[in-house]
Amino acid sequence: MASVLRPAAISRQTCSLVSNRTALLQQASRTRFSETLRTSYLLRESRCLSTTQRKSPSRIPSNDPVAAPFHTSARRQILPPGPQVIEGGVNDPAPVPPTSPTHGSYHWVFERAMSAALIPLTIAPFAAGSLNPVMDALLCAGIIIHSHIGFQSSIIDYVPDKRLPKTRAFFWWALRAATVVVAIGFFEFETNDVGLTEAIKKIWTAKRKEDSYVEPVLRGVA
Amino acid sequence: MAALRTPTSRILLSSIRPARSSIAIRSYATVELNPIRKVGEAMSATQPPVSEKHTPTIQEPTKSEKAKTKTFHVYRWSPDTPTEKPKMQSYTLDLNKTGPMVLDALIRIKNEVDPTLTFRRSCREGICGSCAMNIDGVNTLACLCRIPTDTTHQTRIYPLPHTYVVKDLVPDLTQFYKQYKSIQPFLQRTTPSPDGRETRQSPADRKKLDGLYECILCACCSTSCPSYWWNSEQYLGPAVLLQSYRWLADSRDERKEERKAMLDNSMSLYRCHTILNCSRTCPKGLNPGKAIAEIKKSMAF
Repeated sequence: MASVLRPAAISRQTCSLVSNRTALLQQASRTRFSETLRTSYLLRESRCLSTTQRKSPSRIPSNDPVAAPFHTSARRQILPPGPQVIEGGVNDPAPVPPTSPTHGSYHWVFERAMSAALIPLTIAPFAAGSLNPVMDALLCAGIIIHSHIGFQSSIIDYVPDKRLPKTRAFFWWALRAATVVVAIGFFEFETNDVGLTEAIKKIWTAKRKEDSYVEPVLRGVA
Repeated sequence: MAALRTPTSRILLSSIRPARSSIAIRSYATVELNPIRKVGEAMSATQPPVSEKHTPTIQEPTKSEKAKTKTFHVYRWSPDTPTEKPKMQSYTLDLNKTGPMVLDALIRIKNEVDPTLTFRRSCREGICGSCAMNIDGVNTLACLCRIPTDTTHQTRIYPLPHTYVVKDLVPDLTQFYKQYKSIQPFLQRTTPSPDGRETRQSPADRKKLDGLYECILCACCSTSCPSYWWNSEQYLGPAVLLQSYRWLADSRDERKEERKAMLDNSMSLYRCHTILNCSRTCPKGLNPGKAIAEIKKSMAF
């Protein structure tokens, strides 16, 4: 791309490269390089010299970039703060959003209950030492819901609805799609494979040093 | 005061103090019909200030032998020159001639070194909440913040983070005050008191307001909260939520349910993720994080 935009720049670049290389070569040829190879480089060097002679070196500014960047504008931040917007008058109260407990208090309680429920669900199978498919399914469902709520919260925090409605919608639906994919994946893993708890059990084994290198840890999973 | 603004008096003033440096001579702000405010706001909000390495240091005016010189780097941006980038200006002061607090240093700079330096201050004892600013990375009141006596350590002073800057260290708190107004911060009751006199409160009920009524709305906590940085349009922020709880906790208030309903949505209250920067930074030692937790608890069934 740079060569298309600025042929002079690229020729200068090769020139400097070639001169560097010739210097190296001259040093090296004294020891073992063949004469022919050296002359071919020297030929290219002379052509280089002719181009620089045509364009006087004094006219080339020293800080001129060799390869032109693709963009001409300044560096842009991801989401720079815009100008200040005041809704309504300066002395009016800020608008109060409509009451919706499903997004407010109920949501918060559900979120906290879900997080709290995950603790016994995670510990129980290992503490009891037995594997129950129902418990496994509950744990999978809990993880999916918990992570979905968590990611939702991140999107609400970092993708402002008012400023970036389309980006918000994109992230919103991408999260839903991802959740569905993960749910299908868990279902497949639970029905056609060993299941989540068993998989963790197999991965999370403290083996003796000689064993851990000899046999692959995940052999039983697949 | 109006007479001071006439051109003649300005000429007189400038003739009285001829020794002042060129930076100190300030042109008065003019109201333009087509303001370039937008440019200025974009500049001030999006660009980091020019480092103090590229700006001249203004020295202590009266140097002495046993000077305890300390350097202060202060954020400067003027709306009079909106296209100019904000910059960090360095000042050196002799701590022996300066009061103990950062506000004393700022007042000394303004009085003796550079009168163009702009900041809010009023009571100089942590009651008014005017001089809230970011000192050495912590939001605090300049009047309650001691100058670290270690002179090798250079103090850096910025306006409150993530605020629109009016000038130098003065942030625009319009949205903050609008949000405070939106929670209806006043006693609301319909039933008259039993004896027709003032509405009384038991000492135990009064005690519930301790740690809440002391808030001076300096906005240190709100502007230290990352959640408030990202969503200040909709999230109320710790200071306003603490005030909201102050009225929810008041035994005399009779509109608790309406107050709770106003907070019961996705944005107003529940953007608090218990980061607790608010409780750490509060210059009055209050605990907005706990107040928000109490609101959440009271709203959960």
